[in-house]
Amino acid sequence: MASTPDLSDVKPLPSEAPMHPTTVAAYEAAFEAHQHRWGEILQENAERMARGSYSLHWMNTDGSGWGKRAKPSSRGLTYTDINKYKGSGEIPTMATWKNFTPRGSIREPYADKFPEVVDYEVLDKWELWSDNVETLFEEAKARQWNATKDIAWSELEALPEDLEKATCQLSTFLTEVEFVAGDFPAKWLYRIPQEFLEVKSFLSTQIMDEARHQEVFRKRAMAGGGLLHASPGFEWALQAIMEAPTHTMGTFLLNLLGEGLVLSIFRSGEMIAKTQVDKEIFRRCLQDEARHVSYGVMQLKSYIDNHPDPQKCMDDLHRFADVGEMVILTSFSEAALVEPTAILLGGGLKKIDDGMDGMAKLWRMSVEEYLARCDRAGFDRSERCKIPLDAPWVA
Amino acid sequence: MSATMKETGSLAPARFPSLDWFEHLTRLMNANRARQEQLGYVDCVAGFRVTDASGSTRFEVEVTFEEFSVTGVRDVTKGGSRADFVLIATLDTWREMIESIAAGHGRPDLEHTLNRLSHMGTPIQLTGDDVLKTDLYFRYAQSLQEFFNASACFETVFD
Repeated sequence: MASTPDLSDVKPLPSEAPMHPTTVAAYEAAFEAHQHRWGEILQENAERMARGSYSLHWMNTDGSGWGKRAKPSSRGLTYTDINKYKGSGEIPTMATWKNFTPRGSIREPYADKFPEVVDYEVLDKWELWSDNVETLFEEAKARQWNATKDIAWSELEALPEDLEKATCQLSTFLTEVEFVAGDFPAKWLYRIPQEFLEVKSFLSTQIMDEARHQEVFRKRAMAGGGLLHASPGFEWALQAIMEAPTHTMGTFLLNLLGEGLVLSIFRSGEMIAKTQVDKEIFRRCLQDEARHVSYGVMQLKSYIDNHPDPQKCMDDLHRFADVGEMVILTSFSEAALVEPTAILLGGGLKKIDDGMDGMAKLWRMSVEEYLARCDRAGFDRSERCKIPLDAPWVA
Repeated sequence: MSATMKETGSLAPARFPSLDWFEHLTRLMNANRARQEQLGYVDCVAGFRVTDASGSTRFEVEVTFEEFSVTGVRDVTKGGSRADFVLIATLDTWREMIESIAAGHGRPDLEHTLNRLSHMGTPIQLTGDDVLKTDLYFRYAQSLQEFFNASACFETVFD
């Protein structure tokens, strides 16, 4: 405590340390470059402690919202309850604090001392907000479930080979596609400033939901014989989501279109399930998926309602949707998805044609639901949708 | 299910469709808070309509779910529904479903779950004015299924 540590005192790491030398060197260089800023803080702290004195500046409440004790509602203390207070509860239209400082904390006096989180780049509220995000976050926490113990795996009955393979192929598809809905929010989560903590919180629940979906369908496949075929068409759809140029566009493609279609698949899965275990898996999953769809609809609405350039907003969204719908269609027309679903719908391989008739109805229903959700968000795709209303095999 | 029976006592037989029948389900759900807390919040106003073969409404009820309970059951056969979504089916369809639940001691067979019957739009039709509110039916699918599954705890009498 007598002297201030200096980076030059730091010994090189032992050679056996499993770190990439270039990466570590870059890290060292970055912090050395800013040593005059953090080093000054460290020095002040060390000197104060060496003097044996206290600061107690943090007890000064000037400029804070101190004194308001948040009251819980019947559900406990929710974000909605604590956001009733001025200051901490006000969601800015644009984030100006690009660091980890909590909204509502006393931070102005230290503004020039904070490092900047350069990755925080989604700064406008309309790019990420949805009016139902606080409700969805609370609901997501309350409706979590456990794929290990809440599913009665021991009751799973063996199916005839064609139905078992169809179930396992459908499960393989869902294992392949589900975690994009975890990776996509994760990709954007760290680009969203702390000012929008409600959105970050909800996206965290979505990541957990999708981890569980990937888990439960992987387990279902393994319990039924094993994983079957991955598909290039699925991968291109996932790529289209991951590489969406903005958070809203990707959320539209993932949550509104993609998860809307997967919600239809889950509902179909529940309908055609040949065991009570499969019924419950699909029913549990469709609840989670419907939450994600709900965020997607209302986020798109927030974007459209508040975008500063409405014409450009619409033009860009339509251009993006033109591509996105086609790539998503690549996935949803894959044999590895359509055929096992048709076999389950028909009741067996010999009845696959009957199943395709059912698939045609589901296709139309799914597209109509997609268009209705777009319309609810204020985005009319009815004249421009690239996904045909009727399935390609319908005359 | 047995814990629920213990907490509510023996429920008298109830006629379907009737307000009484849905109030039985309400009592059972509210008595089983521990299970509701496992399933999570349910926040919606659900409508259930029973029609005759021609499609005319015979009975319609509105059930208000809030948090872990049912907070209201209202006969809206003559109108005034403010439901987020409505499930519509003939008496025969509802009867088949309820009988399947009873036969399965609180779990319908594969062909008689709510989602199985409603997914294709027939024999149960899901309707609503706002797609966002209609989607609430999906968000609470497991809870709504278990709400009906509780009907196995008492005898249902049909007209």
